[in-house]
Amino acid sequence: MGARRWSIPGIAVVILAAALWITDPPVTRADPNGEKHEDEGGHAHVPAPLAYADSHVPISVWTDPKMIARGKEIYTTTCAVCHGDAGDGKGPAGLALPLKPSDFRDKAGLAEMRDNYWFWRVSEGGQVEPFKSKGSAMPPWKDVLSVEDRWAVMAYQHTFSGHQGPHVPWEHPESVQVGHDIFTMSCVACHGVQGKGDGTVGATLSPRRAPQPRDLTSSEFKLRSTPSGHLPTTADLFRTLTEGIRAEGGPLTIGLRGYRIMPSFRHMPEEQRLELLEYVKSLNKAFWARTEVKTVAIPAPPPVTAERLARGKQLYADAECLKCHGATGRRDGTPAGEELKDHLGFPIVATDLTKSARFKSGARPEDVYRTLMTGLSGTPMPSYGDSLESDQAWDLVYYVLSLSRDGGQATEVKR
Amino acid sequence: MKRLLLIAVTMVSAVGIASADEAPISGTVKSVDPAAQTVTLEATAKGKTRQVVVHLKPGGKVVRFTRSTAPGQTGFVEQAVALADLKPGWIVSAVTKHEGDKEVAELVKIVLER
Repeated sequence: MGARRWSIPGIAVVILAAALWITDPPVTRADPNGEKHEDEGGHAHVPAPLAYADSHVPISVWTDPKMIARGKEIYTTTCAVCHGDAGDGKGPAGLALPLKPSDFRDKAGLAEMRDNYWFWRVSEGGQVEPFKSKGSAMPPWKDVLSVEDRWAVMAYQHTFSGHQGPHVPWEHPESVQVGHDIFTMSCVACHGVQGKGDGTVGATLSPRRAPQPRDLTSSEFKLRSTPSGHLPTTADLFRTLTEGIRAEGGPLTIGLRGYRIMPSFRHMPEEQRLELLEYVKSLNKAFWARTEVKTVAIPAPPPVTAERLARGKQLYADAECLKCHGATGRRDGTPAGEELKDHLGFPIVATDLTKSARFKSGARPEDVYRTLMTGLSGTPMPSYGDSLESDQAWDLVYYVLSLSRDGGQATEVKR
Repeated sequence: MKRLLLIAVTMVSAVGIASADEAPISGTVKSVDPAAQTVTLEATAKGKTRQVVVHLKPGGKVVRFTRSTAPGQTGFVEQAVALADLKPGWIVSAVTKHEGDKEVAELVKIVLER
């Protein structure tokens, strides 16, 4: 009797399930590659690779009516066939795609999508990982559309979301939430909750003297490949995060290997480091204000010769390196009573050039070249980018490295 | 009652198997064989890139989407294209069905001509 009582509702449930299955069948057959097909869309918002990490869209583009109109024109002819005229991802050519085209009306999804990721996707399409492996049919547009055209298309696509302001992290904090969480766990102790370099532990690393934890909201960044006075590239920040920063600190830095005052985060997965840097950049709107990112080119290191070292020694004197670093490089050049100070007014000592393992930005010839040509912003170390020719810089690089105990045999290991 | 339940389960299974035998595929056209009514696509899924021969079903069609030229209409309309007109490098998509050892499609959509 009990079984009979339950059989009718049971059949009803089965028939209902069947109806649902027929109207929206899950695609489960093995695909032509012999794998099960996933009908999940798969729009992984992974961080943009370093090559695109600095491709931030100028803030004004998102709300510029002219750019939006230009974007609409391009979108209508190139994107709508898959993404749909309404931006809903339901264009006639997109309906049968294994990886569904983005629905730009998806406010939450769009809010998580950073501008450099978006630009990367429009530029490279689905021909890069992880999208290629997912079977994306999105074509690359970098050879078809100019940078401005791609910005215009993005600005028009953005209008489908209904968001009125610019598409930037401070309008969409969720786009850097992962990086924020990593920052909270790994960086706040030194750099402070708001990244102003005022963490509780930071000051004790180097008590009452430089270097202090970086104020990430300011524009002073020591370690850069960009000209003096410019913000660093994301790749510069990535290098610093990965390698850490060498400097002599207080007792609390004893446990940090390789005389580092900032530890190396090499152990952190690359994707997490990139997410973290997206958050770090979001603390400084100037990263969105620069129209182009210039870097100091580092030519291939020439061979070391006795003549080159001799020229380097002369340049060392002419460029007044010995004024701070001393004739032997043991930072004994500063006259008694004349204390060097950083931009915050903290006492700072010149780097001991006889200890290349402690060079802040690395001790490979190209690292020293970069430091010479870009300077160390916020410190007394100037940029020689405007005063030294490339060949002269190499002379000086090799002479500086010759002062160290290993005779300038700095290698990759020293990074 | 048991018989009724058995029939329902059988129906559901049959419908499920039938519908599950379809899968979308997209890829770059590598070659076209009009005589055999096939198009070979280079398709990637799950990290693997393979060449898949898609057989166009008799009566099946290849279409591109163009803007309507009818007055007051701006949407897309299908325009039939001969299989032989597909060019290597174009991106197409199709929903294929497994028939024997063949991937068979009734409709091949041109996503991008380049």
